[in-house]
Amino acid sequence: MYDEPNQLWQRFAALTRNAYMDKLLLLATNGLIWGLIIALIALGLSIIFGLLDIINIAHGDFFMVGTVLAWAILRSTGSFWPAFILVPLIGFVLGALIQRVVIQPIHNAAALSIVATFGLSLILQEGVRMTFGPTPRRILPPIHGTIGLFGVEYEVYRLFAAVVSIAALGAFFAFLRSTKLGTWMRAVRHDRDTALAMGIPANRIYVLTFAIGFGLAALGGVVAAPITTVDFRGGVDILPFCFMAVIIGGLGNLLGTAAAAILLAFLEGIIQSFADPTAARIASLVLMSAVLLLRPQGLFKGLAR
Amino acid sequence: MITRARVERVLFLAFAAFMLAVPWLVPALTNPFWVDVIAEILIWSLFAASVNLLFGYVGLLSFGQALYFGFGMYGVAIATTDLGLSFWPAFIFGILAAVVMAWVTGIFAVRLTWHYFAIITVVFSLIFYFLALSMKWLTGGDDGISFTLPPTFSIGGTSLSFTSATFQYFFILATVSLCFYLKYRLIESPLGKAFMAIRDNDVRASLIGLNTYRIRLVAFLIAGFLAGVSGALFAFFGRYASATYMFYQVSGEGVVWAIVGGAGTLLGPIVGTSLFIVIRELVSTHWEHHSLIVGVMAILVVIFAPRGIVGLWRDSLGRVFEPHGRPAEYELRTEP
Repeated sequence: MYDEPNQLWQRFAALTRNAYMDKLLLLATNGLIWGLIIALIALGLSIIFGLLDIINIAHGDFFMVGTVLAWAILRSTGSFWPAFILVPLIGFVLGALIQRVVIQPIHNAAALSIVATFGLSLILQEGVRMTFGPTPRRILPPIHGTIGLFGVEYEVYRLFAAVVSIAALGAFFAFLRSTKLGTWMRAVRHDRDTALAMGIPANRIYVLTFAIGFGLAALGGVVAAPITTVDFRGGVDILPFCFMAVIIGGLGNLLGTAAAAILLAFLEGIIQSFADPTAARIASLVLMSAVLLLRPQGLFKGLAR
Repeated sequence: MITRARVERVLFLAFAAFMLAVPWLVPALTNPFWVDVIAEILIWSLFAASVNLLFGYVGLLSFGQALYFGFGMYGVAIATTDLGLSFWPAFIFGILAAVVMAWVTGIFAVRLTWHYFAIITVVFSLIFYFLALSMKWLTGGDDGISFTLPPTFSIGGTSLSFTSATFQYFFILATVSLCFYLKYRLIESPLGKAFMAIRDNDVRASLIGLNTYRIRLVAFLIAGFLAGVSGALFAFFGRYASATYMFYQVSGEGVVWAIVGGAGTLLGPIVGTSLFIVIRELVSTHWEHHSLIVGVMAILVVIFAPRGIVGLWRDSLGRVFEPHGRPAEYELRTEP
């Protein structure tokens, strides 16, 4: 005796709609969206690394500053939306300032930049702890409500966060590809001396790059603020994850970095559906060591640079 | 005639005399609490020395030395609690744990250089940090393991233990001094010259027949040994081991101490570590945000004294004693 096709489908649906599948889908979607946000932050890390040759230990804290600024603006204006415009701009200005004051004087000593950015990280964390306070806080999502997605109720704000991240990623790549400044940035990364000889103001491009890096991390912060907690140590966990994305995507390979961030967070989401988050983190770290040792140019070498 | 070398020798002897007098001099001058602070500085400068050996002499910037510090620490704690060992076996067990770990990870890590090396070392340390956090039955996770001091050990009929603050101080001083002396002998030896050859130009070093991979691995093992000794000492000192000491921020502090003190100089790590820990102890009782000062200092030193405090000192001494000579060209090359 054969089931009707419709009955068969219902059986399949019942089979897949058990608790585990729901959890898997939920965590995988969460991971995907988180990956899009991480991609924003990791892109900033990657362009700073590619152009300025700096391992930016403070990059996670740039993200954290974004979440805290979002909280502060929400608190003073009563609305979340001004933060969306203001926080990336403040991040941009802060980035330009930091590049001028801290990074420019040590530009020719890449090893020293690790110490300088470590100091920067301490200053940002401690500065936030001093002003914002040591207790983690939460921001309510500015868009309420849930929508049915794969049979689970899913927060609308998370979908909105995904859309914003995709738009920002697209805008960034378009900027890099088809504006004059973007072309200059690619030129300086490719060959600084020739770029200088062609009249490109390399020093200003460095400032711009660092500012964009901070701006992207701050945007990631404001987008993620209603999803995570706002805490002065919020950047500490983000930093290793961003580095993983940069390495697995290939140092300086921007598209690869974005792809790796999304892939990693997605995989961690799937692993979290049957193991604890620490195990998921260990799995991605092991994957990263394997990539570093076997394919130091990254998993996505073929992607356009 | 006063030369730079003589000035430095007199200063060094004064420093050594001070270190020997600490348990009596410091309580007489200020608070006995500072004896413990100086002991802590000694332990952490050994940790900074392990970073310095790799970065300052071999040109490998490790951002994961906390892993070996943590293994030294846990080695001692687990040996005394779970295995019930006495002082010396526990001490050796801790150091061995760190060296074995350095060997296992070093085989892979030293295949890479510069940025890749910095990142793979931090990745390895993070893997074991997260493992230590999740393996609560062995490590106590976030809370760590507190243990009572292992059975006293005896030298020549007299039994001694860390419960005596003076003995604890001298044991730490002796161990750290011995390690620094070994490091000094190592740097002066042909192997040390090979380290520096690789630091300055690894291609040329391999062309004159040095096996760069094996020499880097040896340096990594020795650095793991130094970090392991400091971790084991710190476990005895605090009667405590915790996963938090394996986090990358601890490694980062070691890097900052070593570079601020003066990378590639023997005593630079001591100078850098002392500076930061003394500031921490002086400020933290009055103002809880002392990290702010540490951050600002790290940036200022890197901008205004890129060769560290010892480098700054050498430059100014050079200007006093050889006013017409040009300062020695010095550049820390780490890129391949």
